[in-house]
Amino acid sequence: MLFAGIDVGSLTAEAVVLNSGGIISYESMNVLPNPVDSAHEVMGRLLKKQGLGWDDLHYTVSTGYGREKVQEEGMAQQNISEISCHGFGAYTENLEVRTIVDIGGQDAKVIKLNGNGELADFVMNDKCAAGTGHFLEIMCKALGVTLDEIGPMSLSSRKPVRMSNRCSIYVETEVIHYLQRGESKVDLAAGINKAMAERVVALVRRVKVEERVMMTGGVAKNIAVRKELERMLGTRMLDSKIDPQIIGAYGAALLAQREGAR
Amino acid sequence: MKMEDVLEQAAVMQNEYLKKYKSDGGRVIGYACIATPVEIVEAAGMLPYRLRALGNNRTEIADAHLSRFNCSFCRSVLQLGLDGTYDFLDGLIETNGCDHIRGMFENWQYVNPSEFFHYVRVPHVMTEDSLEYFTNDLRLWSEALQKHFDVAISEDDLWSAIRQQDRIRAKLKKVTEMRERDEPAFTGTEVMAAFLLGTAMMSTDFEKVLDRLIEQRENHKITDIKARLLLGGSATDEVEFLEMIESQGGHISADNLCYGSRAFWGREAGESGDPYAVLAGMYLENLPCPRMFVEFPYRRDLMISSVERAKTDGVILVHNKFCDVHGVDNVQLRLALEKRGIPVLSLEKEYGATADLGRMKTRVQAFLERIAG
Amino acid sequence: MEINQQGLFDRVAKIMELIERMQYKLSDEELEGLMNFLPPDSRHSLSAFFESRFRDTSIIFLKAISNWILRARIAPEQGKKAIIVPFNFPVEFIHGFSKAYPITSEVLSTLGVVALEGQGERYWDMAMGLGLPDHICSSNTIELGSMLGSVDFKPQAIVSAAPGGCDVNAKIHEFVSHYLDIPQYILQKPPDDSERGMEAYIKYTNTLISELEEFIGEELSEDRLRSVLGKANRCTELYYELWDLHKARPSPVPNIFSLYIYAIRFSIWGTDEAITALEAMVDLCKKRLEAKAYPAKEERARTLWVYTSYYFDFPNLFNWMEESGYSHLGDGLDLFFPQPVDLSSMDTMVEGLATAAWNMPMTRQVGGESMSRQWTEDVVHSARELNADCAIYCGHHSCKQTWSVVSILRKELMDRLGVPLLILQGDSWIRKMTPISVIQHEIEEFVNNVVSSKKKTKRKLRKRRQNNNQQQGE
Repeated sequence: MLFAGIDVGSLTAEAVVLNSGGIISYESMNVLPNPVDSAHEVMGRLLKKQGLGWDDLHYTVSTGYGREKVQEEGMAQQNISEISCHGFGAYTENLEVRTIVDIGGQDAKVIKLNGNGELADFVMNDKCAAGTGHFLEIMCKALGVTLDEIGPMSLSSRKPVRMSNRCSIYVETEVIHYLQRGESKVDLAAGINKAMAERVVALVRRVKVEERVMMTGGVAKNIAVRKELERMLGTRMLDSKIDPQIIGAYGAALLAQREGAR
Repeated sequence: MKMEDVLEQAAVMQNEYLKKYKSDGGRVIGYACIATPVEIVEAAGMLPYRLRALGNNRTEIADAHLSRFNCSFCRSVLQLGLDGTYDFLDGLIETNGCDHIRGMFENWQYVNPSEFFHYVRVPHVMTEDSLEYFTNDLRLWSEALQKHFDVAISEDDLWSAIRQQDRIRAKLKKVTEMRERDEPAFTGTEVMAAFLLGTAMMSTDFEKVLDRLIEQRENHKITDIKARLLLGGSATDEVEFLEMIESQGGHISADNLCYGSRAFWGREAGESGDPYAVLAGMYLENLPCPRMFVEFPYRRDLMISSVERAKTDGVILVHNKFCDVHGVDNVQLRLALEKRGIPVLSLEKEYGATADLGRMKTRVQAFLERIAG
Repeated sequence: MEINQQGLFDRVAKIMELIERMQYKLSDEELEGLMNFLPPDSRHSLSAFFESRFRDTSIIFLKAISNWILRARIAPEQGKKAIIVPFNFPVEFIHGFSKAYPITSEVLSTLGVVALEGQGERYWDMAMGLGLPDHICSSNTIELGSMLGSVDFKPQAIVSAAPGGCDVNAKIHEFVSHYLDIPQYILQKPPDDSERGMEAYIKYTNTLISELEEFIGEELSEDRLRSVLGKANRCTELYYELWDLHKARPSPVPNIFSLYIYAIRFSIWGTDEAITALEAMVDLCKKRLEAKAYPAKEERARTLWVYTSYYFDFPNLFNWMEESGYSHLGDGLDLFFPQPVDLSSMDTMVEGLATAAWNMPMTRQVGGESMSRQWTEDVVHSARELNADCAIYCGHHSCKQTWSVVSILRKELMDRLGVPLLILQGDSWIRKMTPISVIQHEIEEFVNNVVSSKKKTKRKLRKRRQNNNQQQGE
């Protein structure tokens, strides 16, 4: 039997299909204006790739900000919060995980699990760009580099430039100012990644962090932010064997498997 | 009046009863805060109307006076005070509930002064001296009301009003008891609507509404509940916020809300004495509001006993952005509740912002998934 | 996952030990040597105090403050109760007890911001880590965050004088008292400007004295209180000397002295150290007045700050303003208008304490029936007396009272005095909210475009009036 998870966020949409053997396929794309269209498109691509139809899916769970509309349109039997889905997905990935730091394009969340992988606590930031992927996007644009570049390039910095502001708008101004002053892009990138990590840590501290910690979401791919977080939290983070960006959809598919079996 | 009527009438600023009351020549006095002894207004033969905004999210007039660092509930109320919506009020009573409310009243009076306006000064700490002060303040208020409206308020009038309110309080407690049953007779949304309606009617008539509701719902059972909740926090009259929680399977079996049971819980006047002293004691003692800066243990214990009594699975504590009294108190409460193994969801929200409802929904859903399994 | 948990008080005390060892006179080279020991943030902030034009006086002031901190640190060893007080509580109250010592939360926070590497942010983050909302006040939350989250000096009690004047101040002190399980003593302010209000307040003050006597285990001695209040009276005289000096054009009072005045008020008022520091300030200003000394070519604007100032970058606020020709005539925290206390009896002295508490900044301005009335009166009076060209509201986001009514103040100031008000937004104690460069820019634009054109208009009007008078005379 096939089970599916669809995660429609504010920037990207993911779909995962699995069976008792594990993930069969997954797909990720930038969202379309309408969340229903996004769900249709991302799952459509996956199903086409696998030569499957919607009817082949036994049970589907939708999650993310568009979850309710996706369920209302009949593309999912149930909708579950992205918090539960991320938690469950990360736990299934690695049973040691107790704290998940999920940094998406427009929001950030910290999820705490108990020993059974159940949700114990969580905190979210979905109001302020600081500490989300959007902060990095703005800075990459100012620096003239891509999101894929900003992490690795900063690893060689010996003197990260200190960002003295909290608000993304002011930090952007600072970056431009430093560039004009001739500061190196490498040091600026390092400063930006450090500032990003500081904002994330401020959120993380609101939950009593427990080992082990895993980072999920798009920003998890930024090696520099991850290293900074590890340093600030004093812990080595768990790796995810699957793409950290699809953990939400993966968790949704796993929950579909659990709910569908009932 | 049926429950559907209650829900409908509670959702408007001037319900049908109020409109008729006004057209019959009745006078309406607006007040903001549960520390206001409404008995004095009723004893004067007037209708005490609890100021509300019912989720109004337009604040462009208010924002020219208050700032965006002020509570959005107060800005919403001020908007209605300045745009003519509250012109039906014949007078206003200010209480120093919190700094935001003080600012709301001050700007209201600066821009659109009321014909009758009086400041009732509520102490922040309950002591013998402050109780004496408050008693005298109530007397001054009563005198001002009598003078302005050329009415007399005798001690008998006051005692009559006190006993009437005692009956209301007892019946409201009955309603909350029915809401707390293992198979509740009311939803939290319905009870909130009843509370709101009750603060926009004369209590003698509201008593009849309550009697009908209690009778109609005596054997009613709500069964499809994922998790039982206690909702506490900042001033909110947003019935749709409770609806959002309950639409996801939560049942608000108990509350600790300013527009909810805080207004009447633990208040019982007794039979005799100087009515002003009785009112002062009743309203100031055990005022379960975080503006009382030494009574956290009382508030904590009240909440814990409510959780135990209503057998709730979790507690949702909400505060309006920039509400300092609840913002800080909720942290103390959360720590105390979690120490006892009671799950808590803390929410910070904007009042009246539909965009915020989506954010809140996600959090509530996750919390319900957590506590309901 | 442990982070550095050393508390603010301990770290500030260590810097204060350096100040204690400082000579009263420091040359530029000696100063340079000393400053090089300090990390960048501390060096930058403290450099503001050591400008050559007021260095010697600053050293006297800093030593007075360091003395206060270091005595607070050893107070428990000496059998004294260390009591946290908010800034709006008259410290002479506690100085009146021999077995108690006052520590002011907001002064400590400010010292942390001034003296520490990383300023106070780490402690703010500790408070936020507990889940406290970010709209509470950094002025006390920085120090109180340190108490909550780190290994820090713990007081034995809290006096809270904010109920009635400030919810957020009252709330955070309440939180700390529960969290640390230490008693809290309240002096609540009724929002009542009448005699009845003052009578109630005096009763509450008497109750507070009884409660403190019981806690401290000492009866408030009339003689000791008389001595402390006598010194407080001398501080009052010096306050008004500085007030009068502020009236001169250009102002001979260095901008940073506005801060010194209330730092003294909130920590050591009623002590010999306070008198020494204030006398030194008065002496310097008199000399500057005589010499017509002013750091800029001309005094371009006389600014009255109606609330607080910004404390996270002293050189780029106080000193930069002065060097640009913008005099800082004082801010809202200076508007406590002390009155000499009648020392004849215990009753008169207690009434004097109650009056002092009533008039402490914030309580006085926004603790009454109206949040705008007294504030407006004080600002109008000060602007008039001190010949202010303009007013500036620094707009700390946590101050819900002033933010509620600043629109009224702005209107009243303009209607009654024609004085424009600049409304800024920023956190006075946390640099990451609004950068100082933005604040400087806004002040400059305000002075260049609003204040200058008002002055030009005033000059034109004055000239037109003179010409009209002349013509009429002819």
